[in-house]
Amino acid sequence: MDGRADALIVEQVLAGDVDAFATLVARYRDSCARYAMHMLGNREDADEALQDAFVRAYRSLGRCEDPERFGAWLFRILVNRCRTAGARRARRSKTFLADDEALLTASENHPAEQWAWREEIDRALAELRPEQREAFLLKYVEGMGYEEMAELTGVGVSALKMRVMRACDRLRVLLKEVRSA
Amino acid sequence: MRDINDTKLEAIVSELRRPAPFDATFDRRVMRAVRTVATRPLRLISPLMPMPRWRVYSAFAAVAVAMLAVAILPGRHAMRAKPVQFVLVAPQAKTVQVVGDFNGWDPSHAEFAAENRGGGVWSLTAPIPPGHHRYGFLVDDSLWVPDPAAPRVADEDFGKPNSALVVEDTP
Repeated sequence: MDGRADALIVEQVLAGDVDAFATLVARYRDSCARYAMHMLGNREDADEALQDAFVRAYRSLGRCEDPERFGAWLFRILVNRCRTAGARRARRSKTFLADDEALLTASENHPAEQWAWREEIDRALAELRPEQREAFLLKYVEGMGYEEMAELTGVGVSALKMRVMRACDRLRVLLKEVRSA
Repeated sequence: MRDINDTKLEAIVSELRRPAPFDATFDRRVMRAVRTVATRPLRLISPLMPMPRWRVYSAFAAVAVAMLAVAILPGRHAMRAKPVQFVLVAPQAKTVQVVGDFNGWDPSHAEFAAENRGGGVWSLTAPIPPGHHRYGFLVDDSLWVPDPAAPRVADEDFGKPNSALVVEDTP
């Protein structure tokens, strides 16, 4: 485990040590991957969005105003990449959970009912409006406060609260429909 | 059987918080891309190449990135930044945002929101640091429009071409 602070690594990268950026990739890959997967619904798009977010972060590293909070800055870039990728994907046929690797892993690690439950959640999540899904994931899965979400998304706190509430309501309805079907 | 109620939200969130690890090649692929970016200059495409099919916005956009010759802000960094004017003709647009690597590709920056000058002409002047930049216009928070008057960057971003801008580092 590399214990160097983000700010120190950023400084090293800016000084020309490109390889130091690999530490930041390893440090934030998993948490970012989770968000991208949930937001975009399939591994291929999530992989592409996350890779692009890291490359953009590298390109713009000199403009990271608070290197100590590199993770938050990277996450903002990722959120925007997911928005763009989601808009593009909306023009294609709708797919979700085209993730053979996840299916294989899940079938090995979880009982069938557990996996079915997870699949229902993913399907319900994919049914949410993108802005509601984004707000729900940031609030509950990433554990952000509304002020932090507002800073990250550029959306007002009241609007974010409304989106989260509607997302929760919609998820309850969708998952109840599945359970009662 | 699971019931959907308020306590179920916790179960949903718990499930969603499980890690979604990427394969072992991810880090290597990212670093390969980063090293490419670190060594490769921007490659430009002729601005006369045909517009891509996805571009359906009806507004006829013209224009220009005009650079003024003087720095506008005091301070070590700001002394180097140059005011750049971005202009887009988009009569039906409700909002136009300039988004590029100089603002982290973040459309939420209020200082990069173009103003409607009348007649469908949207413009913005912002200080841009010297160097090679990529950018585009985000119309109505949803439609990506490259500047038709500027060169395109060959490295297309998710199928959406960016415009290229070079700001000279002159005193």
